[in-house]
Amino acid sequence: MDVNTEKNILEDITQKEYEHGFVTDVEQEFIPKGLNEDIIRLISAKKDEPQWLLDFRLDAFRKWQKMKVPDWAHLDIPEIDFQDIIYYAAPKKDSDRPKEIDPELAETFEKLGIPLHERAALAGVAVDAVFDSVSVTTTFRQALSEKGIIFCSFSEAVKEHPDLVRKYLATVVPTGDNFYAALNSAVFSDGSFCYIPKGVRCPMELSSYFRINAKGTGQFERTLIVADEGSYVSYMEGCTAPMRDENQLHAAVVEIVVEKDADVKYSTVQNWYPGDAQGRGGIFNFVTKRGICKGAGSHLSWTQVETGSAITWKYPSTILKGDNSSSEFYSVAVTNNFQQADTGTKMIHIGKNTRSRIVSKGISAGRSQNSYRGLVKMLPGADNARNFSQCDSLLIGDRCGAHTFPVIENANRTAVVEHEATTSKISEDQLFYCNQRGIGPEEAVGLIVNGYAREVLSKLPMEFAVEAQKLLQVSLEGSVG
Amino acid sequence: MTASTDSVVNGMPVVAVAAGESLNRSIVIGKEEPKDCFLHVVMAEDSHLDLSVIVLPGASSRVNLQVDMEGPGAEAYISGIYLCPGDERVSIRTDVNHKVHHCVSRQLFKGIAGGTAKTDFYGKIVVAQDAQKTEAYQENHNLLISDAARMDTRPQLEIYADDVKCSHGATVGRLNEEEQFYMRSRGIPEREAMVLQMLSFISPVISHIPDLQTRENVSAIAETAIRNIGMSE
Repeated sequence: MDVNTEKNILEDITQKEYEHGFVTDVEQEFIPKGLNEDIIRLISAKKDEPQWLLDFRLDAFRKWQKMKVPDWAHLDIPEIDFQDIIYYAAPKKDSDRPKEIDPELAETFEKLGIPLHERAALAGVAVDAVFDSVSVTTTFRQALSEKGIIFCSFSEAVKEHPDLVRKYLATVVPTGDNFYAALNSAVFSDGSFCYIPKGVRCPMELSSYFRINAKGTGQFERTLIVADEGSYVSYMEGCTAPMRDENQLHAAVVEIVVEKDADVKYSTVQNWYPGDAQGRGGIFNFVTKRGICKGAGSHLSWTQVETGSAITWKYPSTILKGDNSSSEFYSVAVTNNFQQADTGTKMIHIGKNTRSRIVSKGISAGRSQNSYRGLVKMLPGADNARNFSQCDSLLIGDRCGAHTFPVIENANRTAVVEHEATTSKISEDQLFYCNQRGIGPEEAVGLIVNGYAREVLSKLPMEFAVEAQKLLQVSLEGSVG
Repeated sequence: MTASTDSVVNGMPVVAVAAGESLNRSIVIGKEEPKDCFLHVVMAEDSHLDLSVIVLPGASSRVNLQVDMEGPGAEAYISGIYLCPGDERVSIRTDVNHKVHHCVSRQLFKGIAGGTAKTDFYGKIVVAQDAQKTEAYQENHNLLISDAARMDTRPQLEIYADDVKCSHGATVGRLNEEEQFYMRSRGIPEREAMVLQMLSFISPVISHIPDLQTRENVSAIAETAIRNIGMSE
């Protein structure tokens, strides 16, 4: 491609705005800035929580105070002032009609393509919409509860199903697990709770949509998914935030418990505001996601498409405890401009005949840094366990970086672990082939990238796959070099 | 060897390979001292390096190899074998730094662990921002032959240039049962079959040693060591 067209395309992209960067003008309620035990008591009181949950928060906070910010990732993270964050922000409820959704909020989610009305046309997806620190609404609750499925916001679950929440909360990610998980355990606001009873196949996709709106706040959601024996659920998660010059912190915890013979599919399309072309602003996405295949024959599958966030620090992991359990991790991570991503997975094999498969596709462009970091651990009892990992990186432009940091630990003679990684760029031959057949350079790159990421995209639920494919194209447009 | 100059920096011997010259070195670490091996090689334009390290049974050692490619056209082949059938603790670390364009590096490390041995391989490749047209490959394969042994491997790729071909592959596994069955069904005893499998497992490293005399010596030492492993298992 000649230098001029390249320049033009690059200009186009830098002018291209982040589609979901608007701010909703709605009256909001904030608590004071800062973090201390009083703030935690205040959050807990706002949410009308029982004593055990407050104790849980305080215990986590005390652990967090003794912890250090993790610095082992291949990331350049500016110092975060944890006292300069508002830990709770909620849109004010109209006192006249407390049951209804604020039309302003409904419009916001409508604009984001997340309808809060239970329309026949979108009957396939139930949504829990979270706006800053509170859940706005959860659709299809009635229809789901007929099957015994509980799908509601975390706060409601604490009130309505305290036994279930207490039984499973922090069993997969303990409060002191890591710095950000401890912070989340202390100040988490809302998120989704989902319970699928024995033998039930969830008839629709469940999904959570997270939106950060208020300035100076952080979002700390907590999601807990429990799939009881022989059940099945597919869960999707999406997120966006307004464009701002400041960095906002998002530190979530997701816990998944998969009982005997149950099957959980968890998909994420992460599109937080990535910052502008000069690297100003954007979300710091520091999340802890972990599932446990507790029972024999259980299965957990992670699929993620990461295109947003200024900095991503995320390692969805599976503990394969039950014999014959299996897990997969499929990931596409795209970084452009000054974005940084350090993401990957951990597969901990404890049970016999456990299986895991990792497919990670990194794409870096601009001046971004994109790392895969993974752990595959075979414990002495993991007889005949098997893992296969494949991590490919695609570099677009000569100022970006692609890195691979896998760790393999094998303490079982019969376990087999295989890892392979490659790094390359889009070859001139591939581009030439397309150009020769009348496909322009932009389109050709889109085609090649989509082909490269296909193995992962094909694992997404249909509702997400289309969005993800579009997102991939937008994120990379103009970065061809 | 005439073309290289040796010196010691920070306790680590530094070997510089001059432009257009080549250096071949095979290091065998046995039970006798010294058990550790630290080596830093700096490569100039169009220089060539062939380096192999063999860690024999009974040697708990640390191997630390650093290769800096400072001249375009440099080519390095770095390989190693570690045989740990007892209670050895072996750690191998390689750092290959591609600082300039048009260099090629290939690494191949093979390990066998039995008994209560613990091995750790850490191999890092860094490709600097302007080191275009780099080719860097790394492979680390491990065989676990006992229940109490443990093998860790951490291949690392850090790449800051885009026009490169880099890959790494790592495996930890066991002796292939189908191969064993094939040999045993043809009258080869189990122990001998195992020995043959282990010999063929390490042979790519040995067959690459350029100097015939060294290759034969190393091959003989390695074979004796593996036959002894075969006896004890």
